[in-house]
Amino acid sequence: MRDKAWIVCYLMAIFVLLTACTDSGATQPPAASGGNQEASGSGKMTDVGTPRSETLIVDILSGRSPDPDRMNPYMPGAVAMDSGLHQLIYASMWEIDTVKGEQIPDLAATMPEPLDDTNTKFRFKIQEGLAWSDGVEFTADDVQYTADMLLKTKEIGYSGYFSSLVKSMKAVDKTTIEVETVQPETRLAQKLGVVIWGTSFRVMPKHIWEKEDPTQFKFTDPVGVGPYKLSKRDPQGNWFLYEKREDWQKSDVGKLVGEPGPRYVLFKYFGPEEKRIVAAIQHDMDILQDITPESWEVLRQKNEYAKAWYENFPYADMNDPCERGMSFNASKAPYDNEDVRWALTLLTDIKNVSMATFGGMLRVSPIILPPISVLQETYHKPMKDWLKEFQLSDGYKPFEDTYAKDMVDMLKQQGIKGLPTDSAEMENTFGVGWFKYDPEEATKLLEKAGFKKEGDKWLLPDGSPWKLTINAPANFEVQSMRLAFAVADSWRKNGIDVNVQQMDAATFWDSESTGNFEVGSYWPACGLLPDSTANLQGWNKEYIVPNGQQAPGNRNRWANDRVSGLLEGLNAMEPSDPKVIADITEINKEMVKGMPFIPMFGTSKFVPVDTYYWQGFQNAENEFEGPWWWWSQFKFYTPNYKPSGN
Amino acid sequence: MDFYKFLLSRILTFILVVFIGITAVFFVPRFLPSDPVEAMIGQMTSKSAFLDPKAVETLRETLNESFGLQGSVLSQYLGFFKRVLLTQDFGPSLANYPAPVNELIGRALPWTMGLLLTSTVISWLIGNAIGLLAGFRKEKPYSKALEAISIALYPIPYYIFALVLIMLFSYIFPVFPLTATFQGAGFTWEHIRSLIINSTLPALSMILVGTGWWVISMKTISSGIAEEDYVHFARLKGVKERKIMSRYVLPNAALPQVTMLALQLGAIFNGALVTEILFGYPGVGTLIYNSILQADYNLIMGTITLSIIAVAGATFVVDFLYPFLDPRVRYK
Repeated sequence: MRDKAWIVCYLMAIFVLLTACTDSGATQPPAASGGNQEASGSGKMTDVGTPRSETLIVDILSGRSPDPDRMNPYMPGAVAMDSGLHQLIYASMWEIDTVKGEQIPDLAATMPEPLDDTNTKFRFKIQEGLAWSDGVEFTADDVQYTADMLLKTKEIGYSGYFSSLVKSMKAVDKTTIEVETVQPETRLAQKLGVVIWGTSFRVMPKHIWEKEDPTQFKFTDPVGVGPYKLSKRDPQGNWFLYEKREDWQKSDVGKLVGEPGPRYVLFKYFGPEEKRIVAAIQHDMDILQDITPESWEVLRQKNEYAKAWYENFPYADMNDPCERGMSFNASKAPYDNEDVRWALTLLTDIKNVSMATFGGMLRVSPIILPPISVLQETYHKPMKDWLKEFQLSDGYKPFEDTYAKDMVDMLKQQGIKGLPTDSAEMENTFGVGWFKYDPEEATKLLEKAGFKKEGDKWLLPDGSPWKLTINAPANFEVQSMRLAFAVADSWRKNGIDVNVQQMDAATFWDSESTGNFEVGSYWPACGLLPDSTANLQGWNKEYIVPNGQQAPGNRNRWANDRVSGLLEGLNAMEPSDPKVIADITEINKEMVKGMPFIPMFGTSKFVPVDTYYWQGFQNAENEFEGPWWWWSQFKFYTPNYKPSGN
Repeated sequence: MDFYKFLLSRILTFILVVFIGITAVFFVPRFLPSDPVEAMIGQMTSKSAFLDPKAVETLRETLNESFGLQGSVLSQYLGFFKRVLLTQDFGPSLANYPAPVNELIGRALPWTMGLLLTSTVISWLIGNAIGLLAGFRKEKPYSKALEAISIALYPIPYYIFALVLIMLFSYIFPVFPLTATFQGAGFTWEHIRSLIINSTLPALSMILVGTGWWVISMKTISSGIAEEDYVHFARLKGVKERKIMSRYVLPNAALPQVTMLALQLGAIFNGALVTEILFGYPGVGTLIYNSILQADYNLIMGTITLSIIAVAGATFVVDFLYPFLDPRVRYK
């Protein structure tokens, strides 16, 4: 018995020795003892030792960072930027206002102004009175240093692109920058600033970086112009604690918006979705990243303080700047035939696909730009008349604008409450309409393309059975994954042998890039600004490469002379030119005609918040911004967040 | 002389196994339809980050050069072998570039070893003790009860068991934390306390399920041995039951269990993927999983090579231990 007791003691000692050898403690001592406990007399503490009532806890979308000391944003393996780094510390020259759909100054005080009519020389001012989080003044020298460093350091991945864009960036005085570009540029702010999510051009503090080798520098103690500084980190990379700067007035947000509400912001990775939901139910997480509709349903029932974008159905925010659908490799037969692509469009029972994918909580899009509010007003609604009149080669008009009303009726029958009642509201929620589900017309198109039907199965023009594989993400990007299965089901019912091939991320992206797919649940259709020129560039035929080679853009390998011509013309126009919207509308029309990508739905984001400890979050009624918790603009939301008093 | 022949043959086998294993680990990921550079670019795209096609082109070129993915597969293979043999350096992790693979493994290994070594040995000891009892005294009610519990535990996948433990002890009765948050450093009480608190549930999930397997296997072996002639003979000779169990049955029944234990200890270096993910435990399992998802060739090679050497090493050691454990086996 004594021997056994010794064995147990020995094992415990081994366990403790092995794990104690690791440096698992926080880099600085915690402010108070942690462990989700009630601290005597001061309320609940977080498990990193901060008062819960002063700490905003945010889910980390990218998961754990294996090397949490590496915070050099120019190194590809650094801590994921959306672990709080680009949301709270680093700042961009220009940010984005997604509600208005326009860029706004951040570190820059003005937009770039051309110095002559060559569009190669520009000047802009930077904000005055800002300081780095270590107290040193932020000046134009920092911008010039960062540009010079990028131009010189070829080992940095971003250097190649930056060098192809910028010839020089000079500080004329403490607050003025002059830029010379390699080619004439009309959208410099879009290329150096934030359009979606964040930007690669992040200004670094000259006084720290000039003493270091940028390719090796870890930047373990990051310094930025944002309103927070890194306070503690988990050496295992599961969490990062940020504390509001004492001199927050000298940060970009302090100057442009005001004082951030939370004293601490804890970005934390909680693990699989089940655990994230449990944490949110227990009020241990205030902001959740992507969850499934089913998880939202559980959370809604278990936590009365949990709020999604809409108070009622469809709950999810639908203004994500990428839309989902079915992408064709237009260089592979039979998908190189426009009639085949259109036949598959008409074989898609979009209402049932919506129900099967996200229970109807989706907004449709019939064009290549996502159905976000700004773009709906700029393109979707104005294009409705054209869509109604649009005819296929045989004179058939495929568009119908009844989708929103039909969905409301369908959902009502299921007992869903709180649905929109007037037609404008229905259209804003569910979209302007989509294409008819018409197997008969699809049959005509397929027969025209040489297909034959044998029994209830389709045969290819060469007489072999039509087998089709849809590439789909495995265990990531749930909406695209489910969409693939729902579409496959719709096509299968119409006699096509469809297989859904789920792939891990690396294989999924590699297959798209190398053209190793027939049809894929990819999302090549993104956009946020009415001037979506930059997002559409990838459709230029100049980026097409043979299958087997990795494509930089145009992964659908769809060549359209008119689209390529229009894109080149757009590059030469100023974003404010009224012809920009007209030409992008024309591109959309060409894409509808050719259908290299069947646009289906905008992305519905279930990114709820818990209002138990914090209030002031944006939502459909208080839409000062979208719920883009993983974007660099997050810091601009923080002045709106106030403690609830709990 | 026989011993030296035996030693030589085992050393050669060990080297051959490791060589073939490492070679396979080098080539297999390269035959996969995935690419680390594309995975990285795809990761950026999936977050809706805008990437200009020209930026994609230059980024791809730079990363291919930095990651050492240029040149033929053969030249990469020769370079890899030279580097690993001479300097034991697996190069930088591609998904966490430029963090060295050795550093990442070095950081994760103590966590995995701490968790798996402890839980494997504890479940082996408890499981074999119960199994021996259940097999040797199979008619006793407590033996039947213990066996029934083990049979009920064993088929439960350990991730289900882990989830049940999380729901029970982190949600319904919140005794243990939902996610691992380690405090303090080194040999401080704060650190040790947080290690124990944060590791109890993952360890428990592995011990309970692992114990079930050892009980069932030991029970089967020992009940067979208990019917052997020499055991009956010992009883007829008047040897005490306890002595029969510990001196006659246990040594014979323990042999295959020792082999299995050695192999399991070797496999410790694979980590416990699901447990690590569910409990947010920073071990090797998560590292392997992520390296495969992101086609991080160097990290795959580093982690799997370690595992190959460990399993081959464990087999090597067991081969040498056997003659000591079983007098019937000799080095020939």
